[in-house]
Amino acid sequence: MKQQNSCNIKLDNLSVGYEQTGAPPLEILNNINLSASAGEMVALIGCNGIGKSTLLRTIAGFQPWFAGNITITNRELNTLSPKEIACIMSFVSTENIRVPNMSVFDLVAYGRFPYTNWVGMLTNNDKAIIREAIEKVGLSGLMQRPVLQISDGERQRAMIARALAQDTPLIILDEPTAYLDVSNKYEIFHLLQTLADEKNKTIVLSSHDLNIALREVDKLWIITEDTNYQGAPEDAVLNGWLSKLFINENIGFDADEGAFFFKKKFRAKVKVEGKGLPLTWTLRALNRKGYQIVMQAEHDLKIVIKENSWTLTSGKVIEKFQSIYQLISFLENHLR
Amino acid sequence: MRTHLNNKRKRIHITFLILGVMFLLFFIVDLLLGSLIVPVRQVFLSFFPASGINETFRTIILDFRLPKALTAIFAGAALSLSGLLMQTVFRNPLAGPFVLGISAGASLGVALFILGFSSVTALGIFSFTGAWPLALVAWAGSFLVMTLVLYVSSKINDIMTILILGILFTSAVSAIVNILQYFSNESMLKAFIVWTMGSLGNVTKSQLAVLTPALTIGTILAFLKVKNLNAFLLGESYARSLGVSVKTSRLLILLSTSLLAGTITAFCGPVGFIGIAVPHICRVLFKTADHLVLLPAVILTGSIVMLFSDIVSQLPGMQTTLPINSVTALIGIPVIIWIIIKNKKFVPVS
Repeated sequence: MKQQNSCNIKLDNLSVGYEQTGAPPLEILNNINLSASAGEMVALIGCNGIGKSTLLRTIAGFQPWFAGNITITNRELNTLSPKEIACIMSFVSTENIRVPNMSVFDLVAYGRFPYTNWVGMLTNNDKAIIREAIEKVGLSGLMQRPVLQISDGERQRAMIARALAQDTPLIILDEPTAYLDVSNKYEIFHLLQTLADEKNKTIVLSSHDLNIALREVDKLWIITEDTNYQGAPEDAVLNGWLSKLFINENIGFDADEGAFFFKKKFRAKVKVEGKGLPLTWTLRALNRKGYQIVMQAEHDLKIVIKENSWTLTSGKVIEKFQSIYQLISFLENHLR
Repeated sequence: MRTHLNNKRKRIHITFLILGVMFLLFFIVDLLLGSLIVPVRQVFLSFFPASGINETFRTIILDFRLPKALTAIFAGAALSLSGLLMQTVFRNPLAGPFVLGISAGASLGVALFILGFSSVTALGIFSFTGAWPLALVAWAGSFLVMTLVLYVSSKINDIMTILILGILFTSAVSAIVNILQYFSNESMLKAFIVWTMGSLGNVTKSQLAVLTPALTIGTILAFLKVKNLNAFLLGESYARSLGVSVKTSRLLILLSTSLLAGTITAFCGPVGFIGIAVPHICRVLFKTADHLVLLPAVILTGSIVMLFSDIVSQLPGMQTTLPINSVTALIGIPVIIWIIIKNKKFVPVS
């Protein structure tokens, strides 16, 4: 088991899916050509059910694939034994680990599994590595806490610490930020980014948190029904890949804002005058309710914002409001 | 941190020490008690050939009570160990030798043998050769089921499916057994019912000679896989990502399980609730998920519980003995209920 310090991964014409008994094999994704270099953090994105987990599980060596090659630093995955794979890549799944009598330390200690003797005795070196991994994810204070008594965010960190303790050049994570609150999502992304950066680890993760992924990762792997794309998130935006991500026509990607939005049927045309943050957030509110913002004449409604007061003109009606909430309520209740 | 780990280790050592003392105590009490009161001195002296004691006492101790006590130890240890292995591999707190249908397989073998033959043939064989053929058919039946479970588990990765198949198989077997019972005569029925009640006393010295190596192999297999058992706690995906060859490991662990549970069921009848209850007792006592501790813990605790059951079943001072199966149920079920109530729900294994 030669241990590598860094590695890259390459998928060539890969076709993945499931064998089915009594039916032809179900191919979920085919002709996948993607790659990641050492020290890169890659986010695999695609809509629900497209096969992200299947692809990650295949890369992790959990299931056979139909065609193509998976190459990890010039070595083909299917020539590696489970033990060798365990020293090259670690895996973090969405599975919730609920084992009684197991502390955070015990859980992270599983990372040393491929290196310990047949009874799993931890050496002092192993223990040092485990403690370092726990410190890295910020769980030092919870080392002896049972895993049943920590929050989802803490458990996810513990699982990442376990992967760190496994000390592999490649880490694969299936939706590491699912079920977490926004602050935890950012922290996990940041933590992984730091690892890729400082320890030159190659990190591949799947995520539905596109807005965060766009800001944090080095590379996107985008898979859609019939094709796939890879590149810097910014390239993906410029090449219009993000708007192709969803089959739903009502979802659009705002290339200026760098965010997704839900296309709504536009109702009335509104002209808004004002400046600064009040203007920005008034526009957001109107947008949310499906009003079309127009710059010039030809408008149905006009809103003037002045020092935290909103004046609405609609034909002969003129109303003044103290908050966006009041403004929107009035629009909703009186002008439909 | 370090003191915490040391405290934990100390606690485990002390628990083992207490259990060890209890084990010795129960073993001696089990030898002492029975329908005939044998003086303590005679019990000890009967182990030494030259000590010129009452030969009746020596026969009672060496030919009856010692094999029975050893069988109790073996049965308790083997059933508890197989229960622990199943709960870990199937990640289900309710798994045990019964749930997978191993005992049902044994019952089927015995039912076909006792009830299937004409009463004369069956009883003839029974009286000539002792319990041997009975044990062998039970063995064959449980191994058949385990092979089936192994085959299915190599085809289907879903653990719930395998558990449900085990339950279905148990139901099918009990249906067949019911039909057989319906068509059989009184004496056959009695022979079968006696077997289903379970007994530690029917195991002779020569049978112990078969039982011992089978259980030893099963136990050694379990210890060889101690590290992989820990990995199975995290589920198959994680076990794989840690470098475990999941299918091979699972196969070996289930093989160990079938050796342990199948052998005991064959020789002692279906003894229930020990396999499920003892691993839970050990998790509460030792507060650990590490199989390096849990394996010896369930072996020791299982032996103690079974020795205790045997002592109770003899109703010390009386002429009759209770069926061991009822005693283990009466001891095991309250423990399971206590665990459920204490935890508000069944302790998940993983």
